Amino acid sequence: MIEIDRVSQTFQTFGRKSHLALSQISLTIEDGAFVAILGPSGCGKSTLLYIVGGFVSPTEGVARMKGKPIAGPGPDRGPVFQEFALFPWKTVLGNVMYGPRQQGVKSAEAEAQSRQLIEMVGLKGFEDFYPKELSGGMKQRVALARTLAYHPAVLLMDEPFGALDAHTRTRLQNDLLNIWERDRKTVLFVTHSVDEAVFLSDKVVVMTRAPGRIKEIVDINLPRPRRRADLLLDPRYQKYVVEIERMIDDTSEDGLRP
Amino acid sequence: MNARGLTTDVLLGIVPIALAVALWQAISSFGYAPVTLLPPPGLVFARLAQQLLTGTFQQAIGVTLFRLFAGFSIAVVLGVGFGLAAAASPAVNAVVRPVVRVLAPLPKVALYPALLLLLGFGHESKITLVAADALFPILLSTYYGASMVEQKLIWSAMAAGTPRRQIMFKVVLPAAVPSILTGCRIGLVISCIVVFLAEMITSTEGLGHLLVTAARTFQAVDMFVPLITISLLGLILNGLLQGLRAWLLRGFPEV
Amino acid sequence: MTMVRTLISRLAPLLACLGLLGIWQVAALVLNTDSFPTALEALRAVPSILGDKESLINIGASLRRMAIAFSFALVVSIPLGLMMGRSRLVASFFNPLLMITYPVPKAALMPIIMLWLGVGDIAKMLVIFLGVSLPVIYHSLQGAKAVEEKMLWSGAAMGLSAPQRMIRIVLPAALPEILTGCRTGLVLALITMVTSEMIARQSGAGNILFNSLDMGQYDTVYAMIIIIGAMGIGIDAAFEKLRARLVRWSEPGFDIPLSFA
Repeated sequence: MIEIDRVSQTFQTFGRKSHLALSQISLTIEDGAFVAILGPSGCGKSTLLYIVGGFVSPTEGVARMKGKPIAGPGPDRGPVFQEFALFPWKTVLGNVMYGPRQQGVKSAEAEAQSRQLIEMVGLKGFEDFYPKELSGGMKQRVALARTLAYHPAVLLMDEPFGALDAHTRTRLQNDLLNIWERDRKTVLFVTHSVDEAVFLSDKVVVMTRAPGRIKEIVDINLPRPRRRADLLLDPRYQKYVVEIERMIDDTSEDGLRP
Repeated sequence: MNARGLTTDVLLGIVPIALAVALWQAISSFGYAPVTLLPPPGLVFARLAQQLLTGTFQQAIGVTLFRLFAGFSIAVVLGVGFGLAAAASPAVNAVVRPVVRVLAPLPKVALYPALLLLLGFGHESKITLVAADALFPILLSTYYGASMVEQKLIWSAMAAGTPRRQIMFKVVLPAAVPSILTGCRIGLVISCIVVFLAEMITSTEGLGHLLVTAARTFQAVDMFVPLITISLLGLILNGLLQGLRAWLLRGFPEV
Repeated sequence: MTMVRTLISRLAPLLACLGLLGIWQVAALVLNTDSFPTALEALRAVPSILGDKESLINIGASLRRMAIAFSFALVVSIPLGLMMGRSRLVASFFNPLLMITYPVPKAALMPIIMLWLGVGDIAKMLVIFLGVSLPVIYHSLQGAKAVEEKMLWSGAAMGLSAPQRMIRIVLPAALPEILTGCRTGLVLALITMVTSEMIARQSGAGNILFNSLDMGQYDTVYAMIIIIGAMGIGIDAAFEKLRARLVRWSEPGFDIPLSFA
């Protein structure tokens, strides 16, 4: 579904220095796969996500969605950001309805759909609240509902649980998997947490430090549905985590070699 | 701030005003100042109440308010318009930015004689001066608010399918409203000040004119009345704007 | 290419000036009335004003009054603002008083003050003092309020007393904001000065402006406008340089150069 073809990204920093953030990334992501992009800070993983999202254009190479080059953002690739990015001037319901209304869905129908989604993410009763009145975890649920509301084929999640406390994070991880199980969208999930990556995904793409390159792609052969309590005690899960953590340690050193 | 904190603040705040008025009263009563220079507060407020009922005074207020609102409205339209345009388009920004840098520190009141020559001594010159002075804070705060809009908000809207040309009105403008309203508040105060001063410098009607007329005839009481009136008007308008702000920004986190 | 860009952006204000003068020139030629001389005619009148000893003394006196009043205002307002920023009590006490005097144009107090204090320097300086105080107090207050509690705690742990913390931590930390207030105050001082001279016609730049208006010397009117404008821009630019030097260490903030009449 998504093809990333020799993508590189160079940024101009202040002055005349240029920073190579991504180097020759090639990656194919199948329909319905839950793929985690994992790496140390500054490895360009968010940049890669933004390129797929069409928010940033690669300086080299091309990213394609269903064969067509990605030229800009669109409702087929829905983002969920770490900072939530909710519209503060709209209520929860207003935020979730935004996408469908933009697509031309009639108000009544959009509202009905949105209320369903809000209930699905566990926020029934909060439809008329403003984002400022919600906790971090609740805001992220709204952000998720808002993106799901316009039925994207791909979910682009940029460290969505990074700003939340550990307890809320584990709850939302569970909830995310439950929601995902329903229609198995393609998900690109950026994170720097190894156990989060292994817990959630089918495939973990391990990246090196800047300039970001793909060090390894690890297939996670763990059964679904995944339950945290079971997995934490599962030796296969533990092996994956240890293995990948070792890879990350190594990458933190060899990022500079050409 | 809880209710109790609010009342203590208010009470505490009334104290200096009450003290000031009391001081005023004391100075007059003890004869430290002749009535011709500093009339007692009672007399001034009585005169104010009396004047508020007369047609001529009401008309003066009307004239001043009209010029104030006209100038302020023009400033809002132009300020928000140019501010948004400059935030959206680097080309516009390149032109607007240096012009604003040059014109902002210039005392616009110095242009007043030119305006009088070009537009006459009536409403137009005052309205233009008000607009010219109120424009810059509004323009700058609009520009600031619009350019500081969180990138991720814009991206979220784009991903939801909002076409580029609608982003300005659906995302940037609402997100910039807090900043715009702050600029408007400053602009409103400036409008009050400028209209009054312009009427003092040259005019045939309005509150400022009343003050100058009273000064010429050494009527101290009649000098205080328009001054207090414009202060009260400023306070009331400011309060209204704050109310509007609270309503418009009911969703926004406290700034 | 970038060199050309930086060059243009540095020259931009100058280009803007020239652009505005150009528009003036064209508009004047198009309108072709006596009361609207062209930019060139106005510019030509400038040297004659600056050359006139009397005018120069006038303008010089204006600036001197402005400087003295401004300094006094700083000495009073900055400490007051800082204290208001750190103490709820002090703030609640002075706040409403300031809020009431905020919309009152200080220059409008001229006639009243003239009644009390005559037409001397003191009257004019008082008005400027009052006008400058408000923005300086406001910005000092905001700056002091924004000082991180943890910084003060660190200072207290190091043994600094409350007044010491005020001077050695709050003051420097609030300095960027204070200087923004000063910049606003400076612009206001100039405006108040000119306006009070327009109202209480005695001497000074504002007086020259309106005298020439009355006498129909239109070139002088516009020339005076250019001079006052140049003073405003010049003072502001000079202060901005000073400010940048003094707070080199601070994050680039965004200051809204306000202009009050």
